[in-house]
Amino acid sequence: MSAPAAKPAAFPLLSVERLTVTFRRGGRAFNAVEDVSLDVAPGETLGLVGESGSGKTTIGRALLRLLPKGDTEVTGSIVYAGRDILALPASDMRRARAELQMIFQDPVSSFNPRREMQDIVGEGLEIRGVPRAERMRLVEAALGDVGFSLASVAGRRPHQFSGGQCQRIAIARALAVGPRLIVCDEPVASLDVSVQAHIINLLQDIRESRRLALIFISHDLAVVRNISDRVAVLYMGRIVEIGPGDAIYRRPAHPYTRMLLEAVPVPDPAWRSAPAARPAGEMPSRLAPPSGCRFRTRCPRAMALCAEVEPSLVAMPSGQSAACHVPHDEPAPAVAGSARRAS
Amino acid sequence: MTGGDQDILLDCEAVSCTLATSRGPLALLKDVTFRLGRRTALGIVGESGAGKSMLIKGIMGLTPSDITVAGRIGLDGEDMVAMPEARKRALLGRKVGMVFQNPMTSLNPFVRVGRQIDEASRLHLRLGKAEARARAIALLSQVGIPDPQECYAEYPHRFSGGMKQRIMIATALACEPELLIADEATTALDVTVQKDILDLLQALQGQRRMSMILVTHNLAVVASRTDELLVLYGGRVVEYGPTERVFAAPRHRYTEALLSAVPRMDEPAHTRLRTIPGRPPDPQDRPAGCPFAARCPAAEERCRQEMPGMTLDADGRHGFACFVPVPAPGPGATAARAEATS
Amino acid sequence: MTARSQDIKAQDLEAASALPAPATARLRWPRLKGFEWFAFGFVALLIAAAVLVDVIPGLARPNFPYGDFSQPPEWSLNGLLGTDPLGRSILSRVLHGARTTLGIVAVATAIALAIGMTAGMLAGFYRGPVERAVDLYANTMASLPPILVILALIAVVGNSVLTMMLALGILDIGVYARIAKGGVIAQNDRDYVLAARAMGASDARILAREILPNLVPALTAIVPPLVAGLIITEGSLSFLGYGIPPPAPSWGGMIASSTDLLSRFPLLVVGPILAIVLTVYSLNTIGDSLARRLNDRNRNL
Repeated sequence: MSAPAAKPAAFPLLSVERLTVTFRRGGRAFNAVEDVSLDVAPGETLGLVGESGSGKTTIGRALLRLLPKGDTEVTGSIVYAGRDILALPASDMRRARAELQMIFQDPVSSFNPRREMQDIVGEGLEIRGVPRAERMRLVEAALGDVGFSLASVAGRRPHQFSGGQCQRIAIARALAVGPRLIVCDEPVASLDVSVQAHIINLLQDIRESRRLALIFISHDLAVVRNISDRVAVLYMGRIVEIGPGDAIYRRPAHPYTRMLLEAVPVPDPAWRSAPAARPAGEMPSRLAPPSGCRFRTRCPRAMALCAEVEPSLVAMPSGQSAACHVPHDEPAPAVAGSARRAS
Repeated sequence: MTGGDQDILLDCEAVSCTLATSRGPLALLKDVTFRLGRRTALGIVGESGAGKSMLIKGIMGLTPSDITVAGRIGLDGEDMVAMPEARKRALLGRKVGMVFQNPMTSLNPFVRVGRQIDEASRLHLRLGKAEARARAIALLSQVGIPDPQECYAEYPHRFSGGMKQRIMIATALACEPELLIADEATTALDVTVQKDILDLLQALQGQRRMSMILVTHNLAVVASRTDELLVLYGGRVVEYGPTERVFAAPRHRYTEALLSAVPRMDEPAHTRLRTIPGRPPDPQDRPAGCPFAARCPAAEERCRQEMPGMTLDADGRHGFACFVPVPAPGPGATAARAEATS
Repeated sequence: MTARSQDIKAQDLEAASALPAPATARLRWPRLKGFEWFAFGFVALLIAAAVLVDVIPGLARPNFPYGDFSQPPEWSLNGLLGTDPLGRSILSRVLHGARTTLGIVAVATAIALAIGMTAGMLAGFYRGPVERAVDLYANTMASLPPILVILALIAVVGNSVLTMMLALGILDIGVYARIAKGGVIAQNDRDYVLAARAMGASDARILAREILPNLVPALTAIVPPLVAGLIITEGSLSFLGYGIPPPAPSWGGMIASSTDLLSRFPLLVVGPILAIVLTVYSLNTIGDSLARRLNDRNRNL
């Protein structure tokens, strides 16, 4: 209701309202995520982009209740299939995990180095008490989806596979338990370009064939553009812009989104990025965020109002919502211009 | 050596790096030949294991003792491979500045920023204390440190990753190098900071009339910031040439595949990416022929048997090591493309 | 779509078949150096002797006056290390002493490992008050002289083999707890622990299946030197007369009972001293060797 354009048309699979995550470290506390609301429809991919410290990884982990308990406080609600995940008792949560899965950035370290691959992929099924024969059948099927056979991984340990192969097996591990949503946390960041393309295509195929919803967390705007239906741009723990990928990349409304898009290097020598009028600068300390709009200290359009009133997400004419007092409404020069490889 | 070579700053000829292992020698880098002109920016691109870091280590004389460097690495006409260690250090310290990937580990956390910058200029340029200090502060301000005097007396941990990288650049510039090498210098940084640093490097290269080598796995980083491009794969140079030409009309099958595997923001969502099957060859068993043959859609039998030599195009500036290259675009095609994009 | 995934499959089956051979070959022992062979051999032999001491043919009973008093070594099984002032075979007593010492130390280590690992793992996993309690215990034990702790314990419950086992065990609980705790903390935010949790694994399962197996190598490397430490402590106690009550043979006790005669019969102490020194040296060498193997492997992975 605050941001109608940000809602997908279909009935949401996952609905996050006013999620706030507070970390406490040695007497100091800061909000890594603040007042984040978003929905994911079945079969949809939502991209979360932002620089380090934007809170994107924290959101991903909070959604699956994977944040360390002691010094973290999570408020708001995360409603999946009609139930608030944050309020689920531990045993119910463990059961719900089959439907909400995760893929990590570093595929090699997301595997226990001392276990064999077939056990790693079958882990979730074993926990759920699936009998061995059935388990092996499901493991085989999941591995088949990522281009492996059970025989080709059985008896081998993680370090015998390359990064790209590990990432595919990690996808199989997530698929084996039959999830409906997978949080992908920078799944291609540590892979070479030639391997990265393979993983992106694979995720795309699996999403279609299994009608999976994906939350795709990445700092790489080009990768997010390719894989996402909708995109949320995060800055210092808040969503500054959210909406359909087309709208955000063609007509970014928030000055921060623009700054990000203009900073992305384009693989085309003809595209000379205008040297910014002034350097983009760096993110202020999260322990002492600026008053009002958090981006104002780096924003070329900041006004007096921006220091006083924190902007909330407002629907833009081009279809997305942005949290800005002075949003842009002209198309982005960068993306509209270069179309070298259209052929 | 002829007079024409005055314009060449760095001249690598048939450079190989071989690791001695218990199972025999392992070629990490083989037959790398290229020349870097003065005031030229060169991009060295390759995926992990391609040998790009090894090449830089070879040039900088930083290879571990179990690696043998062979061939010729000429810096300003002097062959560094044959040179005694001490002279090489002096020459490199004087003429080459280097920025590494990780600013957190390449700055000494226990030494004040100022001293880390001074050190090189006092050693190599024999500057006095006050002179070195004034120079360091000037450098810090040139690389965009907001309060250089204060920064000079601080310890590195007070600065963010981007600021540390700026300090590293100041350190690398301390001896007025003729060549600045940035080895994945922006890989660990956020995009906005990366852009600032790349802009800075590019501006400095122009102002100081240096040569620059940008080493990266990210093609986009070098696209509009270098004059020439060297593409490494499996320890070999597979293609080199003027950056614009390589991007517009890559001739080696690997370069072409790599370029089209990168997702682009100007394409609609869910555009299918072109993939390269398989994975880079393991240095432990590199094929006899072209390192890319096993993944190459156009590979023929002889690609697997022998390593193709460099084929040069008409003006000799664009070379590629491929038996079955991507067909060159028809005459005028490059110009038309350039026109369309400008 | 189907064509495409077929395509992927074909490529990968090919890629997978080209994988390197199973890495067991690569993770084998690095070549042992000569002194390491000695260390492993000596400890193996000592353990074998300790276990089989009763059935070694021809070996005299440890308390049986086998020959003359304080006889020098001679070329026979029982006389190999000479006889003690009561005419008993020193070799026999050293080997029986090995059984006592190794037995006590083994049980003590088992106690320390079981309690220490459990406490340390819980402390590292749950942090908070559990961690503070474990730290307090470990720090307290580390700051007290071990002999004093044991003497106090003996004063309360009297000295017996069981007391020795418990007392020595208590000494090392803190050390093992700390190592386990450190290892768990290092793994807590590793992605594979997170991945297991995302799979719905319970805490107990994560501790047992994901974390414990990765602690084992580090612990194996630390056990031998700690055992060596216990052997020295046990020897010192016996030497001071607080060890297992005589006439049961013990290395420390043998040295103590020979001190009066040391100036006239220095060969009396050669046997027990040799036993202690070689055992401790060997155990430390084994520890180093295991640690080296661990480092090599971490580098490979």
